[in-house]
Amino acid sequence: MAEEVRAHITGVVFQVIASVGDRVGAGDPIVILESMKMEIPVEAPRAGVVQTLRVSEGQTVQEGDVVALLD
Amino acid sequence: MGMRDLVEDLARRRTRIAELGGPEAVARQREAGKLTVRERLARLFDAGSFVEVGAHATHHSDHPSMAGRQTPADGVVTGFGRADGRLACVIAYDFTVMAGSMGRTGEQKCARIREMALTKRVPLVWLIDSAGARIQEAAGGGWFAASGYLFREEVVLSGVVPLVAAMMGPGAAGTAYIPGLADFVPMVKGTSHMALGGPPLVKAVVGEDVDPEELGGSRVHTEISGVADLEVPDDEACLRVVKDYLSYFPSSNLEAPPHVPGDDPVDRREETLLDVVPESPRRAYDMHRVIERVVDGGRFLELKPAWAKNILVGLARLGGHSVGIVANQPLHLGGALDVNAADKAARFVTLCDAFGIPLVFLQDVPGFLVGSKVEREGIIRHGAKMLYAVAEATVPKLTVIVRKAYGAGYYVMCGRAYEPDLIVAWPTAEISVMGPEGAVNIIFRKQIAGASDPEAERRRLIEEFRRLIDPYVAAGHAHVDDVIDPRETRGVLIRGLELARGKRIERPWKKHGVMPV
Repeated sequence: MAEEVRAHITGVVFQVIASVGDRVGAGDPIVILESMKMEIPVEAPRAGVVQTLRVSEGQTVQEGDVVALLD
Repeated sequence: MGMRDLVEDLARRRTRIAELGGPEAVARQREAGKLTVRERLARLFDAGSFVEVGAHATHHSDHPSMAGRQTPADGVVTGFGRADGRLACVIAYDFTVMAGSMGRTGEQKCARIREMALTKRVPLVWLIDSAGARIQEAAGGGWFAASGYLFREEVVLSGVVPLVAAMMGPGAAGTAYIPGLADFVPMVKGTSHMALGGPPLVKAVVGEDVDPEELGGSRVHTEISGVADLEVPDDEACLRVVKDYLSYFPSSNLEAPPHVPGDDPVDRREETLLDVVPESPRRAYDMHRVIERVVDGGRFLELKPAWAKNILVGLARLGGHSVGIVANQPLHLGGALDVNAADKAARFVTLCDAFGIPLVFLQDVPGFLVGSKVEREGIIRHGAKMLYAVAEATVPKLTVIVRKAYGAGYYVMCGRAYEPDLIVAWPTAEISVMGPEGAVNIIFRKQIAGASDPEAERRRLIEEFRRLIDPYVAAGHAHVDDVIDPRETRGVLIRGLELARGKRIERPWKKHGVMPV
């Protein structure tokens, strides 16, 4: 089942690190948010392949929003 | 009977008591991966030091279901002994005797131990492995209406002697508020659970089907609820960490914390401290690296490491003296404070203050989280707890501004106005009511909007503002005591502690303040 990767903080997408099809390990950054004067990574909760990316750079995301799906 | 016969009779009774709930129940205990209560006590206390109190106790219930039943020690082994040389009282539930349920006689034994701990000022350790109240004895108002004193007495003990509740099996209902009120709560992974209502009660009352692990296992309480402090792999590790925790504490609030001399030099300069903070002020790093390189032997007993990870709290030593460390963690939420981080810090500060353990604050805080979500969670109320605890604490307080020191985050992390005995900054420090971006957008809103190139104007103003947050501005006003080379951090903190050892702060008399819980 696909695993949802959620933002833990409200912020603006500063950089999208992973691409669709990338194999990532648990804890690898998928996107980097800019919030509270800091670059805050949104990390893969487990290892897997990036199936979908739901955000692009400059976009505002709310805490709890799904930024990507892992296979 | 002559004395020799009487002594033989006593020995037979003791043998029966040592058999606990019988071979089958003991086998089930072992199959569950748990030590028996007496094996646990043998590991907690130094050899030969345990003195049992109430071994011959048994139930006195006239309930028909209890007729003919044996309840050795009435399901709870109590007494006192020396753990790593220091006295501690213990209340250890025995799951092999009626599931460690709390019977009337057993609870009388516990009351006796609480009295010993209180009047002799000795730490109290619970080893909890209990199904909760013994319903056979407690049902109906006859006894229940007078019960509950165990929690009230625990509250009286709180802050007088260290209170440790180790979860080494179930702890439901009656045994769940014991850890709720205790100072330190380790949980054994897989075998321990705690919940106000266990699964059968939950099913009966609210109709929810949930297993004990999902309801109140170690993951739930160390990662989600924040009720427990540490998840440990097994009973052995649990008992080791109980002793390790107690080693930082005095036996009571009337004593100074123990001094444990080590061989770590006061002026050890850690070169690698120059490489911890990234060049970009927006980049995260792991604050553990700073703590490990500064404290004695790199040893840090972190509490609640998996909950509210944006702040680190735990015990360490500096120059052999216990300290409580409160440090922002940029690796999580950029180190911003949210409701749980504030709760975690407030509780820890209160704990250290109660037992005279000096506090060391390591600041890298971009501020409190803002936005509608945290406002609805009551960030003002929760943030106020941390502010309250730090302001109220009269133990020595030392502050190191590692990097960001923004807004109320700077205050609650023991900024200059919160009575730090020494406050120093690394050259990377940024001290300001808010970050340059936020400040410029508010102060120069019209000027930016009116500029021919608003974005360029904004960037220019931000750069200009950035010069004002430099630590030499605060040091130039003598609002921080010094700007230090990161490699000097350990020596500076140890000397600051020496200065602060005689600290005395008088507060106006009051019954107690109004804690913003």
